[in-house]
Amino acid sequence: MTTIGTGWRKALGWAVLALLVLITLFPFYWMLRVSLSDNRALAADADSLLPAGLTLGAFERVLGLASLEEARAQGGSGASIDFGRFLLNSVLTSTLITAGQVLFSSMAAYAFARLRWPGRDAVFFVFLTALMIPPIFTALPNFVLMRDLKLLNTYAAIVLPFFFMTPFAVFFMRQFMLGISREVEEAARIDGAGHPRIFFRIILPMSRAPLATLALLAYVTAWNEYFWPLLVGQGEGVRVLTVALGVFRSQTPQGSPDWAGLMAATLLAALPVIALFAAFGRRIVDSIQFSGIK
Amino acid sequence: MTAARRGDLRVALLFLLPAGFGFVLFYAWPALQTFYLSFTDYSLLAAPNWVGAQNYRDALGDARFGNALLVTVEYVVINIGVQTVVALLVAVLMHRLTKSSFVRGLLLLPYLIANVVVALVWYNMLDAQLGIVNAVLSWVGIDPVAFFGETSTAIPTIALVNVWRHLGYTALLIFAGLQAIPRSVYEAAAIDGASEWRIFRGVTLPLLRPVLAMVLVLTVVGSFQIFDTVAVTTRGGPVDATRVIYFYIYEKAFQQFDFGYAAALSVVLFAILAGLAVAQLRLLRAGSSDLD
Amino acid sequence: MHNKLSKPAALAAAVSLALAGCAGAPGGGSGSDEITYWLWDANQLPAYQACATSFQQANPGTTVKVEQFGWADYWNKLTTDLVAGTAPDVFTNHLNYFPTYAGKNQLLPLDEFVARDAVPTDVYPNDLADLWTTQDGKRYGLPKDFDTVALFYNKKMLAEAGVAESDLANLTWNPQDGGTYEKLIARLTVDANGVRGDQPGFDKSKVAVHGLGLDENNGAGVGQQMWSAYALSTGWTYTDKNPWGSRFNYDDPRFQQTMGWFRSLIDKGYMPSLAVARSGTSVNDGFGAGKYALSTNGSWMINSYFGYDGVEVGVAPTPTGPSGKRATIFNGLADSIYTGTDNREGAWKWVKHLASAECQKSVGEKAVVFPALPEALAVAEKSFAAKGVDITAFTKPLAEGSTHLFPITDHAPEISAVMGPAIDAVLSSQADPGSLTQANEQVNALFR
Repeated sequence: MTTIGTGWRKALGWAVLALLVLITLFPFYWMLRVSLSDNRALAADADSLLPAGLTLGAFERVLGLASLEEARAQGGSGASIDFGRFLLNSVLTSTLITAGQVLFSSMAAYAFARLRWPGRDAVFFVFLTALMIPPIFTALPNFVLMRDLKLLNTYAAIVLPFFFMTPFAVFFMRQFMLGISREVEEAARIDGAGHPRIFFRIILPMSRAPLATLALLAYVTAWNEYFWPLLVGQGEGVRVLTVALGVFRSQTPQGSPDWAGLMAATLLAALPVIALFAAFGRRIVDSIQFSGIK
Repeated sequence: MTAARRGDLRVALLFLLPAGFGFVLFYAWPALQTFYLSFTDYSLLAAPNWVGAQNYRDALGDARFGNALLVTVEYVVINIGVQTVVALLVAVLMHRLTKSSFVRGLLLLPYLIANVVVALVWYNMLDAQLGIVNAVLSWVGIDPVAFFGETSTAIPTIALVNVWRHLGYTALLIFAGLQAIPRSVYEAAAIDGASEWRIFRGVTLPLLRPVLAMVLVLTVVGSFQIFDTVAVTTRGGPVDATRVIYFYIYEKAFQQFDFGYAAALSVVLFAILAGLAVAQLRLLRAGSSDLD
Repeated sequence: MHNKLSKPAALAAAVSLALAGCAGAPGGGSGSDEITYWLWDANQLPAYQACATSFQQANPGTTVKVEQFGWADYWNKLTTDLVAGTAPDVFTNHLNYFPTYAGKNQLLPLDEFVARDAVPTDVYPNDLADLWTTQDGKRYGLPKDFDTVALFYNKKMLAEAGVAESDLANLTWNPQDGGTYEKLIARLTVDANGVRGDQPGFDKSKVAVHGLGLDENNGAGVGQQMWSAYALSTGWTYTDKNPWGSRFNYDDPRFQQTMGWFRSLIDKGYMPSLAVARSGTSVNDGFGAGKYALSTNGSWMINSYFGYDGVEVGVAPTPTGPSGKRATIFNGLADSIYTGTDNREGAWKWVKHLASAECQKSVGEKAVVFPALPEALAVAEKSFAAKGVDITAFTKPLAEGSTHLFPITDHAPEISAVMGPAIDAVLSSQADPGSLTQANEQVNALFR
């Protein structure tokens, strides 16, 4: 336990972390490299670390700045994209999903973690089994439901299935709420506070750190949702970014995708979320540091 | 006391109302529907016919279903094994070395990229002839490896690609659990002069139990549903080496239009996963807290 | 409390009603004066958009909404929409899915319309129109385009090997020694030391350029662009009759010898192993990167093969086999009408327009696919030539009568599920070609 030993251990720890960060980042560099390449030159330049035939053409295609002829000449498709509009749709639906899901799932978690009632654990387990239902079996009935509610091609259809809960969110918040000390709660109850008050004034503020984590994960998941919005939100007005960028995936059974376009689209779709994290990251960290959990 | 319990029940129902509504509408009802269809011959495009337990009897004699289960278990063991250990290591390292949200953000980046794209990028990078990874290997004199193409390496490769995507996410969940451990506990242990390893074994791990249990249940269940990566890369091949269970179910339902049989297979999968979750929760006593 | 529970209860009732109507109830589609049309190839979107515009001018009051989805999304979304009754009025159909959809009454028979408007179905080459009729003689589609298979080659590699391009027009092949075709493949294979496949000292463990590329797709029981050209040139046929055969011939020695020969190319180092072919990039990208000198592929891939920077490409017809003829699969797409459309007349008018010379010519001008109508094909031939592509290697088999229709049968998806892994096992040397007899029994059992 000498200082030298500690120093060495720290260095080793940093080295391991650095290696993992490197492995994490390399594919991103590769995506950037491909997105800056010319599709026609990619094959011949496969083992080069630099872009093949450096061009911004892919980004122009994704942003809808390239003309049809230019796009086709670069090995892309002729589909055009209203990036700004679809970005707005993505922000809107992801924000709605996150807000509803975090609030309602926390409420359910409170009932499962902080309240005592008969059958609680059984009901919780039933909620948990929702994790195990393969999505292909829920997509079809839910689609038919949206059709009958006349909600196809509305924001509501895109948002609703994820708005009230996800089993993950309920489970996650419950596990954290289990760990909150009961004393604070008891003190509040003696002061005459009701459950809604305890939940909003004590439990939620004390759970800020897990709430922030959950919100972040919920947002990313909603942002990446693809097949559901493709089913119910194909209309131009409500189309989200992932669906719009689906154009860059394989078009024909055997044809190769527009690689550069696909990578450019992926990076551009991830950028807003990264920007969001950068803007709110500090706040999340602060909330964790000052959170009531001790 | 009984009055108090009843009081809690009413409040609990109120708090559960929105989530319960979503659960019934978007999860429970479709699940029941699937359960019903598993007893029918249903092609999606024509009305279902009741056939009793025939689909389940067929599943028992379906060697490829058995193979799919085996392949999936191999995937889950590699995926969860590597992911949990490395994520725990990363979380502890981050906790001890840096509170920087930047590092956490970097590690979470892969989670921002859709499954399908992650699969395509790695598929491209790992190609035996044109992939950059094999190019780098050849610079140090290693013969090219057909990671996705070889029967023996395909599943481990897919498992590790998904570790890449979910490592930061899993580490973040565990990290959140670590932060919930009171600092005073560590300080007490440090004063006692306990070594790092003993603090980890004796203090960190037990206190991390509820969160670790949750992470394991979530990741194991999620891991069993591996689909996207297979669908855009190996599509079940070579031969049946990567025909994981969910891909097999998908093929039955949407390519062969044998939806009733696919529903039966998914009920079996559901039962396996539920059993596994119960076992995990029991083993890890995830529901116990110091408060009950 | 009661009030709060009634809302979900009402909704739950709505859901059960919804699901009751889930068994493909018709009545979907779009508004009666709007026709929705789906296709998957973004490269063809501009051409069909142009067709829609000219259609709307000729039919005021009817609008056509063209929507495009990538290949995989297309079928998932179409199936969901068929189940929910919200499928598009008209959509591009593929032979993989057509028998299933027709068998499940999702497609509108066109016979009455065809007869009423006297639309000719005998103008298409080599029975192409027969692909889109079912066993009971009903027609569910009018051909829009066709495709065949040919041999792409790297001109520079040919020159380096001292092979004249003209030699490729007269290649012969047989399953015993591979004929002049295998000699060519061997000649074009080069190892890391520069030794060619037909020279002494050739190191098959370190091959720099494979003579022939292996497709990354699992060809299942058809092997369209992989091995069908060889197997069919022996006189072998997939089924007892086509379309709508009910007995497969994967137990035929001619077929199994062909697969044995095909695998021997891997053993000799002339073709990459199955593992390498499946490890990531496509066979065309391998060709574009100079890893393969030859590559058999379909006409739908022309623009990919000719699109690589710095690679000079030529196309030759596939080799002549033991039957004395060469062979290629002859296949294509068609437009079908959804039974649930609420505007059958409008949908038919649009399908008729899609099959018209006017629309097909405008598709031909874009030089993406081969239109089904001969006069439109002539237009495509010119526009391909303008891009420097000579398509005669693909069209020659039509005139020679060496085309074979894609095998149309019931149970196609189940057959793929059996044959895909079975052929994989042979190509990766986990099983002998003789094992295909057993797979054949499994396939034929589906028809009993």
